[in-house]
Amino acid sequence: MMNKDKKKTTPSTWRDLLPQSPRRPASKTASRKRFLNLTKSFFILLLLAALGSGAWWMSRSDFKEEILSWNRMDPPISRVTFESDGALDHYWFQNWFGPLRGRSLMQIDIEELQSELSKEPQIAHARVSRLFPSTLEVRVIEETPVLVLRLGKRGGGFQDWMVSSNGDLYQGTRYSPNAVSLLPSLSISPKQLKIDPAGKGYRRLEGIAAVTPLLELARREYPAIYRDWKVVSYANPEETGPGSYVKVVAGKVRNLRFSPTNYAAQMKRLQYLLLEPDFRRQPVVESIDLSHDRSVFAKL
Amino acid sequence: MSKIIGSVEIGTSHSKALVGEVGENGSLRIIGMASRPNEGMRKGEINDFPKVASSVHAAIADAEKMSGTTIDSVYLAQSGSHLKGRMLHGSAYVSSSDNRVAVTDLERASEEAHRREADEGRNYVHFVRTPILLDGQVREDPVGMQGKKVDLSYWAIDGDEQAMRSSIHVISNYNIEVADLIVSSIASATMVAGPDLRRAGVLVIDLGAGVTDFVLYRQGFVAHSGVIPVGGDHVTGDLSMGLRILERYAEKLKLEHGKAAPDPTDEKQEVWMVGDRTIGDRSVSRKAITDVIHVRIVELFEIIHKELGELLSPEDLKGGILLTGGGSQLPGIEQVASKVLGLPVSKAGFPAGISPELAQPENATVLGLLHYGLQDHGLPGQSKTAHQTGFFGKIAEMVGIKP
Repeated sequence: MMNKDKKKTTPSTWRDLLPQSPRRPASKTASRKRFLNLTKSFFILLLLAALGSGAWWMSRSDFKEEILSWNRMDPPISRVTFESDGALDHYWFQNWFGPLRGRSLMQIDIEELQSELSKEPQIAHARVSRLFPSTLEVRVIEETPVLVLRLGKRGGGFQDWMVSSNGDLYQGTRYSPNAVSLLPSLSISPKQLKIDPAGKGYRRLEGIAAVTPLLELARREYPAIYRDWKVVSYANPEETGPGSYVKVVAGKVRNLRFSPTNYAAQMKRLQYLLLEPDFRRQPVVESIDLSHDRSVFAKL
Repeated sequence: MSKIIGSVEIGTSHSKALVGEVGENGSLRIIGMASRPNEGMRKGEINDFPKVASSVHAAIADAEKMSGTTIDSVYLAQSGSHLKGRMLHGSAYVSSSDNRVAVTDLERASEEAHRREADEGRNYVHFVRTPILLDGQVREDPVGMQGKKVDLSYWAIDGDEQAMRSSIHVISNYNIEVADLIVSSIASATMVAGPDLRRAGVLVIDLGAGVTDFVLYRQGFVAHSGVIPVGGDHVTGDLSMGLRILERYAEKLKLEHGKAAPDPTDEKQEVWMVGDRTIGDRSVSRKAITDVIHVRIVELFEIIHKELGELLSPEDLKGGILLTGGGSQLPGIEQVASKVLGLPVSKAGFPAGISPELAQPENATVLGLLHYGLQDHGLPGQSKTAHQTGFFGKIAEMVGIKP
């Protein structure tokens, strides 16, 4: 037994004797009560689980369809507003979505519509909302093409594929020929181009993500230089060794070579060079190699 | 919203459970009561835990069934000869510059009084406050009054750790909580002696089956309490031995023909032990029964007299002596008690409003538990702290919702 301190501020009371953990029932009545309590707890948990399952079931798309079918009395959609930050327009959406056929707002599964829109390669993000009583609002943010890949067709002619900033290839819809003509072309070896097994064009191009910052920088801060760029090619741009580079064929400079690091410094140097009287006087510069850290090799 | 509370008395002969409903205005309505024979107790202490648990749990279950509800916590009566009381004193000087007593002064005095630890192997059951003295003068509520020193005393009752643990475990084993442990004698007195009687001074004696509890009030406060390990079962035992009959017949004779004081009319009367006057039945002298009972009852009151000594003064006990408990139904017991204790003695009654089937002397403790538990026993100016019970009650307490 513990030796108790006679000067403790709180003396031991009966509350100190309360059991800290439940004991085995000592009578049939107590056992029955414990069993009933456990059963009650089990049924409460079961009820909670049932409520949870019910909530999940109601959130299913099938259930929504059922709800939609219950709302046949809603007025049909009278107006569809479509907003995009790119080339897609209202006509494209009408064509893509098809006829409304008198459907009401509640009969449109907006989550599914959003999901389907987002699957379009030209669309980066889509948001669909209902504006009661009868307006369907669609807003999309499009991918911005950084390059264009021109591929020859078997039967003759060619087909342009847009290259997004992350390397996705898609057939641009509703881009004006003028806008496409301003984009530099991409030159890659046929080995780099892999067909998508799902039959939806080509797989994402590797390495484009490392080239995009250069193109974005040039377009944003050096538009005069960028406008002159015709063809872009690259090799191992995600590495930093001597074998990795980004090559640009421009109108004035036939061969521009960048290292895939520190594009800002290289562009600054290029601008400086092109402003030099010797370079300005030349109608065409054979090559400029900016990939060697502080040195620039140019061939007039 | 009304609140459901329960009380349990683990008596030597019976376990009793009560379920009460406290209304919004504080009124108490008894909605369930049950009693079950208890064979696991001896002299107010648990002797056979499973038997006691079965009896108590069955009584609680019956009371719950009768009330149509369940209880999360109960007020539990504690009795037994292991209980001992003593007066603890504490004092504090008034701390404010204008010498006005604040609640904190009373709290400091109370803390001082509570400092004394119970002896090894014992725990306190109860701290019953006695009058507050402000500079030696009794004051009901000295908060705000001017003075220098506050004195506070508590009649502290402590008991054997193991005996108390057993009682508590009987309740917790049924998956309900003990809201408060209350000494049986104080619970009984709360029921049978009203505030006026307590102020006048009264001694309440609860004659149980295994033990006799008593509590003495002076000026409205507890001045002494005790438990004598003698009860109705001892009288039955004496009859069984003295008359050489089985205990069950001794109990029958005690209940049907027992008297506490000798009666000249019993001189030549004979009573039948079984009552069917067949083989095995025999007649017993009624005088012999009375003589055996009388000796034991006199002895019991003499023990109380010896323990209380000078406290049994007629000046301080103007309310006299009240007898309650099952043993108080013995005819002539008031006369014997009065003769031995030297004070007027009467059988305790119950306040108005309690149904006749409940207002029985043997129910005084279990009824008193509810009444005592609902009263505020804190210091003047202190708010009563109520512990929430049950699963949802605990959650409410955690998030700060008050009952």
